[in-house]
Amino acid sequence: MIDRRRFLTTSALAATALAVPGLLTRAHAAGEALKIGIPVPISGAFAANGKFATMGALMAAEEVAAAHGVQASTLDLDTEGKPATAVRKVQDAMAQDGVKLFAGGILSSESLAMGKEIERGGGAFMTTAGADEITGVDCNKATFRWSVPTYGAINETVRPIIDALPDAKKWYTITPQYVFGDGLLNAAKDVFAEKGIEHVGNSYHSLTDKEFSGYLTNAIAAQPDVLLLLNFGAQSSDTLRQAVSFGLKQRMTIVVAWASGLEQFEALGPDICEGVYFGAQYWHGADTALNRELVAKVQEKHGSNPNYSFAGSYICAKLLLEAAVKAGSPEGAGVAAALRGLKYEGLTGAEEIRAADHQVIKDYYLLKGKAKADMANKDDYAEIISSGKSFLSPEDAGCAMPA
Amino acid sequence: MNPLDKPFAQLALVLVTVLALPLFLKSGILATEILIFAMVVAACNLLLGYTGLLSFGQGIFFGIGTYVAGIFLTRWSVPVPLVLAGAAILGAATATLVGWLSIRRQGVYFVMLTLAFSQLFYFMAYTFSGVTGGDNGLLGVPRPAIGGNALDGPWSYYTYVAVCFVVIFALLVMVTQSTFGRTLLAIRENEGRAAAIGFPTKLFKIEAFAISGAVTALGGALHAMLIGVAPLSNIEYHTSELILIMTIIGGSSSLFGSVLGAGFYLLLADALSTIWPRWLLLLGLVLVAVALFLQGGLWGLVVRGYDLIFRRDRAPNTSAEEH
Repeated sequence: MIDRRRFLTTSALAATALAVPGLLTRAHAAGEALKIGIPVPISGAFAANGKFATMGALMAAEEVAAAHGVQASTLDLDTEGKPATAVRKVQDAMAQDGVKLFAGGILSSESLAMGKEIERGGGAFMTTAGADEITGVDCNKATFRWSVPTYGAINETVRPIIDALPDAKKWYTITPQYVFGDGLLNAAKDVFAEKGIEHVGNSYHSLTDKEFSGYLTNAIAAQPDVLLLLNFGAQSSDTLRQAVSFGLKQRMTIVVAWASGLEQFEALGPDICEGVYFGAQYWHGADTALNRELVAKVQEKHGSNPNYSFAGSYICAKLLLEAAVKAGSPEGAGVAAALRGLKYEGLTGAEEIRAADHQVIKDYYLLKGKAKADMANKDDYAEIISSGKSFLSPEDAGCAMPA
Repeated sequence: MNPLDKPFAQLALVLVTVLALPLFLKSGILATEILIFAMVVAACNLLLGYTGLLSFGQGIFFGIGTYVAGIFLTRWSVPVPLVLAGAAILGAATATLVGWLSIRRQGVYFVMLTLAFSQLFYFMAYTFSGVTGGDNGLLGVPRPAIGGNALDGPWSYYTYVAVCFVVIFALLVMVTQSTFGRTLLAIRENEGRAAAIGFPTKLFKIEAFAISGAVTALGGALHAMLIGVAPLSNIEYHTSELILIMTIIGGSSSLFGSVLGAGFYLLLADALSTIWPRWLLLLGLVLVAVALFLQGGLWGLVVRGYDLIFRRDRAPNTSAEEH
């Protein structure tokens, strides 16, 4: 007959034996929780972009969690728009929180620096930053880029406008004097040479300039048919505002090759944007399945349309998290392997992650600003004139992917 | 002299800080950044607190140290001790040049000259992108290795920086306690009188600039190795501004005040930046409060607290002159 002591001992052992699988399962599930770092400027001059980027990434994490039955969360990392702070925050997230996945880096300098650090830490990183070097000479096995580089941006804006305006033979450019600006300018010069366009002048400005009237006066003096603005963000908005106030819109066609999308239209307003051409990485009006779905979700949740910061962060976070689910781990090597060569239906239609340089092959849009009277709703600032894919080969881009 | 202002007390406080940071901070990166900026702010304090020179040129020297590390470590794999020595020498040389030209004017014109130099060096770094990497910076700056093992872990690099920091801080304390340091105080208080009794005041100021430049450049080199990149932002005018803000918040009457200023700013920024996008507004309020009510900075507050607790009769020191 079993005594009380033996009964209690046996019961305890049995209970432990029964509980262990459950405890192990729970521990395993906890181990499967995916956390993605969102290193973007949440404070400082680019805080607005960072805010939308964190919202986009959070929506992606919620979607992946619901679709795959995993725990997925975001960790916002304020880069303050400074490469040094960005790298420090990424280092901390990897060391303290064990984060391996990162989506963000709006500024090129931040993204280049973070990409190197994330590669060193064995993670995976996807960015929307513009510098060609990200998937060019500084490409690395951990870094992926969703946005179209300068070559594609120019080819998908300048080329269709040349075709649409055959009489516009003289072009003038205004360029920020650094690597990104020169990338756009060189690509534009190549297209001009190919199409027999006369490049009647270029004005370089620094990254700190806010006053562009001198450059615009030079442009007027050169009497171009088209003024091509190769700066971006607040500088392109300031240049465009001043150009419009100088009456240039009536005298020539104005093209902003690298616009920030809806954020920039909202800041400028329809009166300034009307009739101006804009190159854009993303437009909420794009007629693709995933974009329609995203627009509906964002309108339902936030009561607004997704802008470029939101959409770019959303797709980068979604791709990384889904790759981690597929790989069964957030470790960089597995995630990168799952991403390389991936073909999927993205926000701009059929998209593909090129294995050789980790560049996403996607559409770039040419938009034209609408008159206020023609806008169907408050965000209907522009119509899509054309879209397409133009990319240098990985070799021409300068990427020698490390083994 | 308040006991806390004595050299050994200052060194003891620094040692306690170096040992305490790993206990209270989870982030080795943040702790290392605090020590690097504490070093750089102490160098700024030598100019502001001890010589009375409000220089907006500190970012130049910090940036030069950053680029020395970036160029020599990524292109030629020069041993790190040589890189640090090279950064200090080039920082001192540049500071000598900037100081030599700037001290020809006093007051607001001196400040404007350092500001102009700051912009000049920024645009040089921006323009010569083949050397500096321009806006993208120089990527892949490696950390030092000891015995063949790279100090890739945050706390191992912290230890390396902590040793450098303690040595540099001790040297700065020695400088401030020397005849040279006391002469700087005399120049700050009354330059005309110091010159009248035979001190070559311009030479002393240039030497102060050189020491400050050497230490700041050393900090810049250590910072590049910490973050693995030599960014353009390290030579921006805003870096000079940041160093000055830390110096003023910490208090310019004591070298340890620099440690407090750097720690306060970086911890505040780290805690607030993800909570409140406009956290810099709070920093502005702190600066206003320091300027209006706490001219000795955080160090002045510490000294007041010490006097209050230990019921000392004398008023707390608020300037470096009583050292």
